[in-house]
Amino acid sequence: MSKLEEEDASELKLGEDFLKAKCLMNSEVSILLEHRYEQIKQMSDESINQVPQVFEKCLQYVKRFSRFTNQDAVKQVREVLSRYQLAEFELAVLGNLCPETVEEAVTIVPTLKSKGRLDDEAIERLLNDLMMIKKFE
Amino acid sequence: MFFHIVLERNMQLHPRYFGRNLRENLVSKLMKDVEGTCSGRHGFVVAVTGIEDIGKGLIRDGTGFVTFPVKYQCVVFRPFKGEILEAVVTMVNKMGFFAEAGPVQIFVSNHLIPDDMEFQSGDMPNYTTSDGSVKIQKDSEVRLKIIGLRVDATEIDARENESLFLVDARTIFHLCIDFIFCFIVDSSALVP
Repeated sequence: MSKLEEEDASELKLGEDFLKAKCLMNSEVSILLEHRYEQIKQMSDESINQVPQVFEKCLQYVKRFSRFTNQDAVKQVREVLSRYQLAEFELAVLGNLCPETVEEAVTIVPTLKSKGRLDDEAIERLLNDLMMIKKFE
Repeated sequence: MFFHIVLERNMQLHPRYFGRNLRENLVSKLMKDVEGTCSGRHGFVVAVTGIEDIGKGLIRDGTGFVTFPVKYQCVVFRPFKGEILEAVVTMVNKMGFFAEAGPVQIFVSNHLIPDDMEFQSGDMPNYTTSDGSVKIQKDSEVRLKIIGLRVDATEIDARENESLFLVDARTIFHLCIDFIFCFIVDSSALVP
């Protein structure tokens, strides 16, 4: 699997399949799966057993690791973050992990700085924006 | 990371499903077939969210089956090397610890656990810093950086399907061995 070798998320190399794919934050997936789970439950009682294990595990995971639960807040996070010309992947990682300091943010998403796109000030502003959404959720 | 992507699959449909509900039957069969599967290329298919296009059916010689090329949108979970994500610790031993991020199994070897953390055996085996401020034990939440992935091919009793193979979700991706430990989010399990 030489293809796997070339992938490196810390350099935003995701392979051609995922280059243009839309990344989803845990909070978004949580809303989506929760909704879907309700649908499955309504369809018939039997099918509760039919929820695939992967679905079940993902649902538990995103419920546990969602930083934002309110639907409007989740929307706002994406909106606010998209103002900073981030790649999809960077946006989702920031939204998932909600770093609190500039240093933490750059550790988590090294590409923020490697391209020299965002200076400390801009990152600081970004983190503040995130913090505000969290606060008023 | 979760992604929303478009995938394609050739669906074979038995003639008994032809009729008014053809499309519905096709879609529900698609969901049954692909949800919960996993491939090294696209990761775990979590949920089908929509149909982009259903192509013209082609009758297969010798059988009554018809093959439809179906393009569908779905949510997949696909880990990447270099990615940083959060996971829940499931087991701790002196070799390191196991964790889970959704359907993905993770192992962090003790070589990759910070040097100032010592293994403590007992009822609740754990790794603890010398000052006791940080503890990794079962049910702790940790933040990890993926340094390598492996899709375990030994258990492919796969349903072969054109270019990509799908494997039953349980046997699958034993993948992601070798993770580097980054830092701890929260040593939970402090909950009484």
